[in-house]
Amino acid sequence: MKPLDPRLVRRIGPARRHILVTAGLGFVTALLILVQALVIARLLAPILSPVPLADDGLHWWGLIVPEGARTLATGLAILGAVVAARAGVAWLQERLAHRAGVQVISQLREMVVEHVATRGPRWSAGGRTAEVATLVTRGLDDLLPYFVRYLPQLALAVTVTPVMIVVVLGLDWLSAVIVVATLPLVPVFMVLVGLVTQERSAAHLAAIQRLGARTLDLIEGLPTLKALGRERGPAARVRELGDAQRRATMGSLRVAFLSGMVLELLTTLAVAIVAVTMGFRLIDGNIGIETALAVLVLAPEVYLPIRNVGTHFHASADGLAAADAAFSLLDEEDRARSRASLGPAPDARGRVLTVEALAVATPDGTRLAPGALTFTAAPGAITALRGPNGEGKSTALLALTGLLAPDAGTVAVGDVTVQRDDATAEESSWLAQVAWVPQRPDLGPEGRTLSLGQRQRRALARAFESGRPVVLLDEPTSHLDRASRAEVIAGMRALADAGATVVVATHEDEVLAAADAVVEVTATRLEVAS
Amino acid sequence: MSGRRRSDPALLREAIRDTGVSRWAIVRAVLAGTMALGSAVGLSAVAAWLIAKAAQMPSPADVALAATIVRFFGVSRGLFRYLERLASHDAALRGVVTLRERAYDRLASSGARTVLGLRRGDIVARMGADLDAIGDAVVRAIVPLGVAATVSAISIAIVAALLPIAGIALAACLILAGVVPALLTARSARIAADAGSRAHVEVTAASLSAMDGATEHRVWGTGAEAAAALRTADRDAEQAHELAARPAAWAAGFQALFSGVALVALVALGVLAVRNGDLDGPGAAVVALLPLAAFEAVGAVPAAVMQYFRSAAAARRLAELADREAADPAPAVRKVPAASSLALDALSVAWPGMEPTRPVTAAVGPGHVLAVVGRSGVGKTTLLTTVAGALPPASGAVTVDGVPASPAHTGTTVAMTAEDAHVFGTTVLENLRVARGDVTEEQAWDALGVVGLDAWVRGLPAGLHTELGTGGRSVSGGERRRLLLARAGLAPAPVILIDEPAEHLDDAGADALRALVSRMRAEGRTVVLVTHDLTLLDLADAVVSLDD
Repeated sequence: MKPLDPRLVRRIGPARRHILVTAGLGFVTALLILVQALVIARLLAPILSPVPLADDGLHWWGLIVPEGARTLATGLAILGAVVAARAGVAWLQERLAHRAGVQVISQLREMVVEHVATRGPRWSAGGRTAEVATLVTRGLDDLLPYFVRYLPQLALAVTVTPVMIVVVLGLDWLSAVIVVATLPLVPVFMVLVGLVTQERSAAHLAAIQRLGARTLDLIEGLPTLKALGRERGPAARVRELGDAQRRATMGSLRVAFLSGMVLELLTTLAVAIVAVTMGFRLIDGNIGIETALAVLVLAPEVYLPIRNVGTHFHASADGLAAADAAFSLLDEEDRARSRASLGPAPDARGRVLTVEALAVATPDGTRLAPGALTFTAAPGAITALRGPNGEGKSTALLALTGLLAPDAGTVAVGDVTVQRDDATAEESSWLAQVAWVPQRPDLGPEGRTLSLGQRQRRALARAFESGRPVVLLDEPTSHLDRASRAEVIAGMRALADAGATVVVATHEDEVLAAADAVVEVTATRLEVAS
Repeated sequence: MSGRRRSDPALLREAIRDTGVSRWAIVRAVLAGTMALGSAVGLSAVAAWLIAKAAQMPSPADVALAATIVRFFGVSRGLFRYLERLASHDAALRGVVTLRERAYDRLASSGARTVLGLRRGDIVARMGADLDAIGDAVVRAIVPLGVAATVSAISIAIVAALLPIAGIALAACLILAGVVPALLTARSARIAADAGSRAHVEVTAASLSAMDGATEHRVWGTGAEAAAALRTADRDAEQAHELAARPAAWAAGFQALFSGVALVALVALGVLAVRNGDLDGPGAAVVALLPLAAFEAVGAVPAAVMQYFRSAAAARRLAELADREAADPAPAVRKVPAASSLALDALSVAWPGMEPTRPVTAAVGPGHVLAVVGRSGVGKTTLLTTVAGALPPASGAVTVDGVPASPAHTGTTVAMTAEDAHVFGTTVLENLRVARGDVTEEQAWDALGVVGLDAWVRGLPAGLHTELGTGGRSVSGGERRRLLLARAGLAPAPVILIDEPAEHLDDAGADALRALVSRMRAEGRTVVLVTHDLTLLDLADAVVSLDD
């Protein structure tokens, strides 16, 4: 997996800005670490050297921290300034990372929601809504640790590590050789360990997931067991499965943690070897104390960001997986047919709505529901669509709105076609004339606090008061008590009397009795060649 | 609902006690972790001494030991870190297994009303992710905090042994670098849990409304408003997060500050001590350079505090799952009668806070069938739950053999098959044995034959011993229903309640139900059947309707 998704950089403004800022802060941090190490070397060298220090042990890096820093006052002043600056950078980094993280999450969330909202009702019926809802409400939050923990370390790994290598090279080439020689070993060994463990851990992981699923399956069935009086037996089985899962997990962790161990081993050992080598070279007089101190302090800093990147790898994986899920969704092609335009829809007022052989395939492609629906709905009348659940009443209403393309058949106003499988009237001119109330209407976030019945009444009121000439109602009397049902029927009648074309899907006798015409809706089975 | 409201930390302590993780297991992990980070401190200290000593150009033999120790620490850090991770994960995993078993036990023995009212998603989330989060408290909170304490103590001891005043300075800085960020992180976690989760609820509602109501928004032209509502909710969430992030940023800043202050102080004290002749050069190098390594352990404190809060919240949710009502009294060993009669006397039922159903009256004896009809959502399932004894009636009464139905009847005298009853991810035979543990293969085939599922099972790769997918997902809706009916037929209880869903009841399903009910009638059992299929009413001796 790439450590940074290029789509984040390209398409999400706050992400791009933040990555630049983080990289900038990484360079500042590198500079501060460098100055800190050099000042420490300057301050300690005079007290550790048996003879007065003659030449500048920091070579040309002495330009950054002049020899004057060997005096306690100057040295400590610089060190104090560096400490204050590092604290400030740490504060700023954390602050900006949090802010950028939530902004990126908000923006991605809004992009995904908008994308889904324009996909049309058929997409929602595809069964992906739960998955997308989870991504939007929870999954994307995994990007926060990615921005707050992982990305800054990644920035340090690409700034501090190379800067420190160059500095060590300038101070003492032999130490630089040790450092540079170990550095490539880190990925090499990690890949080797990875290759050895990959096969093993994939099998392990599958076993672990299987055991976990079985445990939860057993627990999930608890209400069923209770209803049969058999709830006490499985506790032992829960334990057995849990123990098996633990053993499998530990088996895989023993292997998985090896890569972490190799990383720590190589990086720490390299620092130790640098220190020991410099120790013996100091005795031989081949290196100055000031140089040695600077290298000693700098050597661990080469490896620290790499180690931290390894530590926060999981945070990165989850966050990137969420971003990837979001971008794949956004890049998905709209498979809904793009339909040609039939021009503006005619005024539906006073014109008969004619539905001819309307058919829509179910998402699984096994049936047409409705099968071949043909009826006319006259203005000033209530037309009821009747039929068992699943025969296509709601789908027929959706096709009438034009938001769902039928697979066959036409919808016409007067003698002008407004919906066909491959063409539709201009959305604005048609939808502005249609009032549609689905089952379980949505009234925005506030609506969620209302009961189903209240929501139903409000949605119906909106449709009744809209003055739109075509009124499509899907089971308008469900969730309502008897008095409200009567009110709804009276409302429908009043609309029809005022000249509206009312089409209502229902199976309630009272509504059917109030209708001027009743149309049976039936599905047909599609012969699937297998 | 229990009256005492225990705090989250108390609940977490309790949960961790329930994991049975031994002190020794935690001590072992902390020791390994101390050796790992202690190696880093040791490496830093001995390497500083080695360099400083070497600068005085002694004979190589004088630093040979130090060189060996440095190399040892170079290796030991990785090794001990590996051991620490294994030890802490092993302790946590063991703890989670024990806790899961205990939590299952507690949940299984809590009231029938609680258990039958559980939502599947809740059970899975609490017993899965939340239990793991409690285990994480060991790995990511307790052990790192323990290691931070021991490693800090070691660093302080080393410095204090060389230069007591420097030891005091280091101790002060380490304590500040641990405690101040911990308090700030705790504050941040509290704000996030409070304002953050409230904002999150709003964002969730706005997102779902914009997506679920998308078609309506297009019809009514309210898409822009929905997008704006989400925008506003997102802004509020950003602001709430901003509030939580502020203390977290200060925590990061203070941690860097205190470790830096320690560095400045110890460099100054080391240099001055050498000038005053209180300390030799190598000792001063150790004092001055140790802070560079000593603060790594306390660096883990904020993450540990965050984990502590996450785990505590998980412990509270877990406690709430089983804590909704007092447990059933230990089930008295009752003799289950061979046959029972059931009487509904002006019975009206409701879950708390719901509209009660219209009262119904009926009586049904052994070998007889009572059918319950009504439109969906009217409370038919609630009626069955009440008849099963799991839920007290809203008004009126239901009696089993003249005794009011109670949780003691649930599953013993009265067995219920819910419409969403669970098919377990085990063999066909074991799924039937859910009804009764001693079902023989012969009895299983017989029961499958009654519901017409024997041919299907014979066609499975391993017949009765074929594993069904977890949650019965490899089984079609119709087969699943008939398997559940076969299971209901094997339940030994004299009163059988069957909740038949409106969907999935194809002709084969209706035939199976018919056959099963005839069989039960012949066995002299009392059957209550919820049905949507009015053609099945000829099976019934009595019918009650919940529609008004």
